[in-house]
Amino acid sequence: MNLHERLTEALGRDAVKTQPEDLAVYAFDAYSQAAPPNAVVLPSSTQDVAAAVKISNACGEPVVPRGAGTGLCGGAVPAKGGVVISFARMNRLLALDVRNKRAHVQPGLINLELSEQIRSSGLFYAPDPSSQKVSTIGGNCATNAGGPHCLSYGTTVNHILGLEIVDERGEIFTTSLDDIGYDLTGTLVGSEGTLGIICAIDVRLMKLPESVRVWLAAFGDVEAASETVSAIIGAGIVPTALEIMDDVIVGAVEAAYGAGYPTDAGAVLLIEQAGFADDMDERESAIREIAHEHGAISWRAAKTQAECDLLWAGRKGAAGATGRYAPNYYIQDVCVPRSKLPTALHSVTQSARRHGLKVGNVFHAGDGNLHPLLMYDKRDRQQVAAVIGAGNEILQTCVDLGGTISGEHGIGYEKRDTLSLVFSTDDLATMAKMRDVFDPRRVLNPEKIFPAGVGCAEVKPPDAAYVISNR
Amino acid sequence: MLSQTAKADAAANRIVPKTVAKLQEAVREAHQQGEPLVIEGGNTLSGMGKAPTRAARTLCTSALRKIHAYSFADLTISVGAGITLRGLRSALAEHGQFIPLDAPCAQRATVGGTLAAGWLGPRRHLYGRPRDYVIGTQIVLADGTLAHAGGMVVKNVTGYDMSKLYIGSFGTLGILTSVNFKTLPAPQSARVFIAKLPENSRLRAINAIAQLNVPPAAALWVYGFRKAIDGEDGNDGRIFILHEGSAALIERASRDVRTALGRAGVPETQIIDTGALGAFDRILDACSATIGQRSITYRFSGNLDDAETRLRATYVATHQSGLAAESLLDLMNGDLYARISGKDAHAFCERIEALDDALHVQIPKAVVVACESPIRQVLNVWGSTPAALDRMRAVKATFDPAGTLNPGRFIGDI
Ligand SMILES: Cc1cc2nc3c(=O)[nH]c(=O)nc-3n(C[C@H](O)[C@H](O)[C@H](O)COP(=O)(O)OP(=O)(O)OC[C@H]3O[C@@H](n4cnc5c(N)ncnc54)[C@H](O)[C@@H]3O)c2cc1C
Repeated sequence: MNLHERLTEALGRDAVKTQPEDLAVYAFDAYSQAAPPNAVVLPSSTQDVAAAVKISNACGEPVVPRGAGTGLCGGAVPAKGGVVISFARMNRLLALDVRNKRAHVQPGLINLELSEQIRSSGLFYAPDPSSQKVSTIGGNCATNAGGPHCLSYGTTVNHILGLEIVDERGEIFTTSLDDIGYDLTGTLVGSEGTLGIICAIDVRLMKLPESVRVWLAAFGDVEAASETVSAIIGAGIVPTALEIMDDVIVGAVEAAYGAGYPTDAGAVLLIEQAGFADDMDERESAIREIAHEHGAISWRAAKTQAECDLLWAGRKGAAGATGRYAPNYYIQDVCVPRSKLPTALHSVTQSARRHGLKVGNVFHAGDGNLHPLLMYDKRDRQQVAAVIGAGNEILQTCVDLGGTISGEHGIGYEKRDTLSLVFSTDDLATMAKMRDVFDPRRVLNPEKIFPAGVGCAEVKPPDAAYVISNR
Repeated sequence: MLSQTAKADAAANRIVPKTVAKLQEAVREAHQQGEPLVIEGGNTLSGMGKAPTRAARTLCTSALRKIHAYSFADLTISVGAGITLRGLRSALAEHGQFIPLDAPCAQRATVGGTLAAGWLGPRRHLYGRPRDYVIGTQIVLADGTLAHAGGMVVKNVTGYDMSKLYIGSFGTLGILTSVNFKTLPAPQSARVFIAKLPENSRLRAINAIAQLNVPPAAALWVYGFRKAIDGEDGNDGRIFILHEGSAALIERASRDVRTALGRAGVPETQIIDTGALGAFDRILDACSATIGQRSITYRFSGNLDDAETRLRATYVATHQSGLAAESLLDLMNGDLYARISGKDAHAFCERIEALDDALHVQIPKAVVVACESPIRQVLNVWGSTPAALDRMRAVKATFDPAGTLNPGRFIGDI
């Protein structure tokens, strides 16, 4: 029997896709480059996943786990073909333990749906990537996704208590923070499907806050807004979220959603503080004062829940709203020490200008996590080249400022050859040891994270950094 | 008392490198000669795990205690792994910041040792685990290679998060030489509440605390530890609560605590404002304090739901063995610490093995956190085997194939 027949026999006809038009859908994620798989399976259980991996092994095919395919760095693209394992059907909340504030979920469960399903219990799941309406908790785990509220709640890894994994041979094992021994849970989170396939997840839940306030401050330019962010943090205040959008983004968002952002400002800063009612006035006046000291031209406090939701809807839909400027955008993801934000933003503007590109900035400012959106038309080769050039400059600038090349989207296929901008050969070889333990044959999501060559006999950094445009 | 020659031997077998390069050199040499090393920080948690096998020499990180960089406006700091928790704490306090590391013996415990031991403290339900604050590490591997992970930014998914693997690995995969943290603004104020519990008020008090709207930073039920921990036991022990936050929040929390405890039948609550964190430190210290050769301290982790079962099992087994127990129950995280002691070393040694067996039948995950060396070698110090032990062994075999670093100290003789 061939690959298709064996998969069909094990998982059922309904769970296996082999037609070219079906496979084409799974060739992409939210990154520009694509490669079709040889087959796609839609397992219903961990046992299905294990069976699919065993069959893939026997047929010499690599496997690529896939959540919602919203990844921005080609992580779910089957770069070497093989079998895509889609978690679309393993999307349930399996158990909720209100007293101990934890839940057991399948990896295909959509991020926002978890919080919605448990709302009546007074709990929520904190990590909230802007893609949370579509991205999966499995994908979030695999990328250690961040989000606006990670400023105070921490990224995905802080909320993962244990995993059920199918390994490269199709064997099942579990990890738990409650167990003694090495923290395999923490190491597997963020490994982008290269160390194991996540088939079930224990997540930590948090109590819904008693009081939430959302404020919007407007500034003359994005540098002033980012200086305010640095000053708020520098003053020892860590709100729940600190998000900046520049005028380019504000224009797009207003046209798309009418979120109520002032379109005459150079940038807006969205601030959220969750906590106890007793602290709120004090917090508000401290933050407001810093904003005014740093040139805020207006300050608005959301008065109703609907107003809060609208302000947030604008932020979370920002990237999509830029479609009015150009057919495509490339979203860069870099992180710098927070006090370096103004310098980093200035360089981003310069780079974009040098390359003749329109750039918009919408980002997790409180974490120093920048997301310049470079707008372009992918049919125009010159523009594509400009995006690559500017993207690379931005990476280098952030590394020079003491930052790093990915704050939350991951390395995937896109950035694997730039990893050596921040890590030495020894650092990379050390990471490759984990790969040697968990996937010595490189059958799990091959061609991802590691520069070509790392972990094989020779370990050498690539000659030059390059980035390929996405979207 | 050690004889003069024994002291000289011990000194000769102790390496305390002043630089990372020297430490690498020492490790490389040991590795080449096939000579295992004991890895030591402040030696405060040396009562955990088995004494490493075959290791004649000790490598100590205590001289690597520099603050490499403190960008207080960024809320990040980079320190040598040998800095003590107290040293780190006072550097941070100068800028009104802190990191919730919550481990015993802050004046001696090193940052590297605390992280390597994966120590978890009472405030983690509120602030998160120590690992959540580590944004970068530098480590010397078994062959002397120096490797970095993470960086100096607070959000980072560039490559695998190797720091997670090192934290809690008990020095069996590498030697942490430097650690980067994100820090937090220190809470404006702290207040401790201590209440003596009259007969039959314990369960009601514990339930009342679980219902508090403003969660305390730490809340423990204490039984015993006279002098070591503030306050006095009533018939049902005592309650220790730490609240942290703004003055306004603490005022509200104070009213809530007193009302809740009052309803639970607890007549009086003592308040400590000045020295609140000192009182909390004494709680942390008690978690690993031993009484020479006649005591052992266990940690029984679990959910709050079954805390009562674990507590009862501990007292029943201890009484049956003729030993005495003192305990600390973390009401926010569910950890139970029990210090079990005998009248003298002889009585203790005679009974501890049977008690250890009996305890593990009832509480398979029981872990020994403090016990002097010859005694604990025969005990089940790590409790039940984790599901992924074979993977852990594979990790050890890949990182340290010759077994140079702390061989045999960790679970499954890793
Ligand atoms: C508009 C938009 C906004 C975004 N905002 C954010 C943001 O704020 N923060 C952020 O961090 N990211 C953001 N992203 C990126 C993306 O949404 C995240 O990376 C997300 O975590 C991916 O989830 P997914 O389910 O789509 O995974 P996919 O894209 O399907 O997969 C991502 C990676 O995880 C692996 N993977 C998926 N499932 C599993 C599994 N079960 N086991 C093992 N490996 C698996 C894949 O192989 C791949 O390498 C955004 C993307 C878009 C398009």
